[in-house]
Amino acid sequence: MPAIELKHVSKSFGPYQACSDVNLIISEGEFVTLLGASGCGKTTTLNMVAGLEDVTSGDILMNDRRVNDLSPVERDVAMVFQNYALYPHMTVARNIGFTLKMRGLDAVEVARRVEKVAASLELSAMLDRLPSQLSGGQQQRVAIGRALVREPKFFLFDEPFSNLDAGLRLRMRAEVKELHQRLGVTSIFVTHDQEEAMSISDRIAVMNKGRIEQLGTPEEIYARPATRYVATFIGSPRIELAAGETVAFGNMSACRIGSVTLPLVRSLRPGRQVEIGVRPEHVRLGHSGIPATVRLVQPVGPATHVTLGWEGGTLVASLPGFARLSPGAAVFAEIDSAQLLVFDRESGELLS
Amino acid sequence: MTFARLQQGGPLRQVMVIAGLILFTCWSAGPVLWLILSSVLEQKALIAQPPDLSPRNFTLENFSTVIGAAASLGRGIVNSLIVAVFSTALALALGAPAAYALARLPVPRANNISFLILATQMLPGIAIAIPLFIVISRLGLIDNVLSLGVVYLSFNLPIVIWILRGFFLGIPAGIEKAAAIDGAGIFATFWHIILPISLPPLSAAAVFAFVEAWNEFFFALILTRQQAQTTPLVIANFAGQYQTVFGQMMAAAVISVAPVILLAILFRNQIIRGFADGMMKG
Repeated sequence: MPAIELKHVSKSFGPYQACSDVNLIISEGEFVTLLGASGCGKTTTLNMVAGLEDVTSGDILMNDRRVNDLSPVERDVAMVFQNYALYPHMTVARNIGFTLKMRGLDAVEVARRVEKVAASLELSAMLDRLPSQLSGGQQQRVAIGRALVREPKFFLFDEPFSNLDAGLRLRMRAEVKELHQRLGVTSIFVTHDQEEAMSISDRIAVMNKGRIEQLGTPEEIYARPATRYVATFIGSPRIELAAGETVAFGNMSACRIGSVTLPLVRSLRPGRQVEIGVRPEHVRLGHSGIPATVRLVQPVGPATHVTLGWEGGTLVASLPGFARLSPGAAVFAEIDSAQLLVFDRESGELLS
Repeated sequence: MTFARLQQGGPLRQVMVIAGLILFTCWSAGPVLWLILSSVLEQKALIAQPPDLSPRNFTLENFSTVIGAAASLGRGIVNSLIVAVFSTALALALGAPAAYALARLPVPRANNISFLILATQMLPGIAIAIPLFIVISRLGLIDNVLSLGVVYLSFNLPIVIWILRGFFLGIPAGIEKAAAIDGAGIFATFWHIILPISLPPLSAAAVFAFVEAWNEFFFALILTRQQAQTTPLVIANFAGQYQTVFGQMMAAAVISVAPVILLAILFRNQIIRGFADGMMKG
């Protein structure tokens, strides 16, 4: 039985279509991320699951029960917001306990549960402070505590780490993943950060223009992106694309880009207008291959990202360690043909 | 303007800003200082041309006379307090939920309704004075403190709604969403979350409404006789048919503005924050 199911869910605000025909099945205990650029409809989708936005058409089911007309409380969801949305006039303890108070629990029970959650999030020493007296990370932990204290059936996260600095973001990411492993509560997480999505999720739904472009495990999304959009959205440094045409290559096919012919592992009808996608880790520098010129060298520690100019445009090679290269140097790029991604140039769909 | 911001401009700009502030302060504080000065001067020194400000003419006699004959002033102050507190409390109790609904709830044509509410303030008081007098008089409520309070309420409510609506519009939507997730309905959200974080604009609106009611003269003049007379009327009564006792009149005025000034000093920070918030998001 799916824990959460979205069936042909659409949402429009006047003439603006925020989400169209979103279909999604989330299993019990699963951690699914809605990933996409701003304005792609991911937060609207999350708000509809939460019960904060009405559904224009379609159905949302939770544990096989249609919840379209139920309030957030009746759906038993807890949510963590991007800007924390803490109540500024309430202490940490009151912020966390507010939801229990609204449910009519007595003060003793509220205090007991607040203390338990605060201890698990290392907030015990801050229970009497106001949100304005806390750091960004502490505020976000209070927001998570507010979600935890209810022991809800579903957790929803709306870009919870966007306002945190890079180091804290990594720490909070690990904390949320650890929390999910410990509690196993079905969760939906919204982010525009592909690395965050990859590192935290069981499955990722990549959204674009109000639709889900691809739903799959992080590995599937990365290695077999269904569309050019997904391929360019996932991966850092991002995939480089080059326009070409398929040709016959012995018994197989190849892609011709100017004077360069790249063999393909799958046979495709000759004369097809395509775009090939090459990820940085599938490019090596060697003594033979595609002639290219070094344009930019960016060491990042474990690897060096080298931007190359070639006949088809640009390539990025991710080389291990610190590569000794200078801009302007003439090199040969070797591309791992087995890893080439071929997209239809017009539709953007994956062919290979 | 903070001191740091003032320092940013060139010297000429600084001089102009400071000169402007001094001029504005004199403009605002001048009448108040003159009022206080007049209240402690003897009548003959005050009406001399020019006024004789030598120390021997200073006296507290005006105050002792006014306080000695305190019956009418005392009653005026009590009446003013009742009218001001009554109309302010009701304006907040009715205006805050109305402003919240117009700012945050899906009320159809909320902007049009808000402008309509503001439009009621565009009629000059004199235009409604006679119909209002007839209505109050037919209801048998002339010279009644509470009927005067209701009249003031009708003036204050639109202003309170506008001040608060401006603030409510600026509250981040996340807070209400969080409250909804936490299980708070509209009323619980309003009571437990929105009202407590709205203390600055509530204070600003309260002081505004209170001062309006406290100082109002025209409607108090036409709707009261003896029992319900408010402070401004009592002060005006110091102008007799043959002689105006300016010193006593000013002393009474000093006594009557004291609560308002005290109120403004007490809630100074809240008022400034309240008006600033309301104006930015209006």
